[in-house]
Amino acid sequence: MKKAFIRVFNTGWTNFKRNSYLSFGTTGVMTLVMLLFAGLMAVNYISDQIVVGLEDKVDVSVYFKNDASEDQILAVKSDLESNPEIKTVGYTSRDRALEEFKALHAGQAIIQESLNELDFNPLQASLNVKADDTSKYATVVEFLEAHKFRTLMDKINFYENEAVINKVQDITDTVKNWGLLATFILAIVAVLVTFNTIRLTIYNQRQEIEIMKLVGGSNWHVKAPYLIEGGLYGVFATVLAVIIFYPLIWLISPKMEVLMPGVSMIGYFGSNIIQFLALLLFVGIAIGVVSSTVAIRKFLKV
Amino acid sequence: MIEYRDVSTIYDGDFMALDHVNLEIKDGEFVSLVGPSGAGKSTLLRLLTKELTPDTGKVILDELDLSTLTTAEVPFLRRKIGTVFQDFKLLSRKNTFENVAFALEVCGAEPDEINEDVPKVLNIVGLTEKINNFPHQMSGGEKQRLAIARALIHRPKIILADEPTGNLDLVNSYDVVKLLMKINEFGTTVILATHNREIVNYIGRRVITMERGRVVRDQMEQGKYII
Repeated sequence: MKKAFIRVFNTGWTNFKRNSYLSFGTTGVMTLVMLLFAGLMAVNYISDQIVVGLEDKVDVSVYFKNDASEDQILAVKSDLESNPEIKTVGYTSRDRALEEFKALHAGQAIIQESLNELDFNPLQASLNVKADDTSKYATVVEFLEAHKFRTLMDKINFYENEAVINKVQDITDTVKNWGLLATFILAIVAVLVTFNTIRLTIYNQRQEIEIMKLVGGSNWHVKAPYLIEGGLYGVFATVLAVIIFYPLIWLISPKMEVLMPGVSMIGYFGSNIIQFLALLLFVGIAIGVVSSTVAIRKFLKV
Repeated sequence: MIEYRDVSTIYDGDFMALDHVNLEIKDGEFVSLVGPSGAGKSTLLRLLTKELTPDTGKVILDELDLSTLTTAEVPFLRRKIGTVFQDFKLLSRKNTFENVAFALEVCGAEPDEINEDVPKVLNIVGLTEKINNFPHQMSGGEKQRLAIARALIHRPKIILADEPTGNLDLVNSYDVVKLLMKINEFGTTVILATHNREIVNYIGRRVITMERGRVVRDQMEQGKYII
């Protein structure tokens, strides 16, 4: 078994080397395909970050009347936190709200003077709720509307933000769905291009395949080196694609960070390089081997 | 023993390539199959390697009816037969050594055996110095000798030579035929399809003449090319 594998591998490797012109062309096309896959992964990462960024900007705040005690507000907070669809609940007391307001308007003398003239804190305590995704806010509001301390709540700002939240949800859904569709279509195109290239490569060698069969080669004996050759196209294409892709990401990443602060492509692809390489290798080898298997079938019928 | 029993083969639904052929070829014979192009010589050979199957009748090799063979069993049949073609059918991506070695590899030979046997056979056909050459670096005569070496390497019981001198000059043609006669002397059955009169008359063994898919003459000994 081991000897057979070594023979098959050596034959496949020798064919790959000797057929350098054809191998170079096929590997070149596959490299472009692997770059397309890598590019799709980069685009998916960016679109995910856009969606996360947009969703992160959406929240719902509940403002409590001044007669609501801190214990009561914390009880509402605790109830909200037990809801699995809610990601975080932040509590801002009246004093904290005032501090933050003053800090925010530190340079604006009129506002500071106005606050000093008041002998009470005009700001309300609030809970800031962030859900897993924007579609969950309606449920959060229903939950609050039905809460036993509803009478202590003065205002739930969901109603003012509802249109914005729905718009954000529409945008994120569109990005997700079209991104998925585009990925799917481009992936099919990539597979077809690779398949066709390998099919032409094997078509060029149909006479060799016929001769091997006439000399007494079994289907596996004839086919196996071609599968190895197909796999080698995938390996070399992946290596070349990675060699091209990472410097490109290194160049693009700082520009993307200017447009989208906090989104580091080089950070993402750098920290996941092993998984990224393994995935591309798997895709490259699988496409190469499967394409060779399908393409050679027709010529084995001798 | 090779037997063709009432074998007919029809191409494209209306061209009768073989028309109720009955033949017996004994082990160790040297048979020249002669006749004009389209007489059915190649078809007769291709039936023996199961490249084709007859539309009627049976082809029997050592009491084995070839029609009973499954697709998976066909390679084993082909490993018992060595074939030499007019267009050489060499593997262009393999060098001389590898072309011959391939026929041994498919039989499951060990690398040591391959490394020992291939140079010996290349020596017999006079290609020792071309061991690392590729087919495109060789002359027509050398290619055909290489094809014979490949056909010989696994010591087949039968060698089929389909117009092996068709692309060769006179000197190379005689070299190839002498080689086939030498192989036959060691007990291998040789079936040579040709329409080269001089070659057939030179061999002077059994001659089967075919015309329009039929056997029209079978000279068992000292046969001559007669049309």
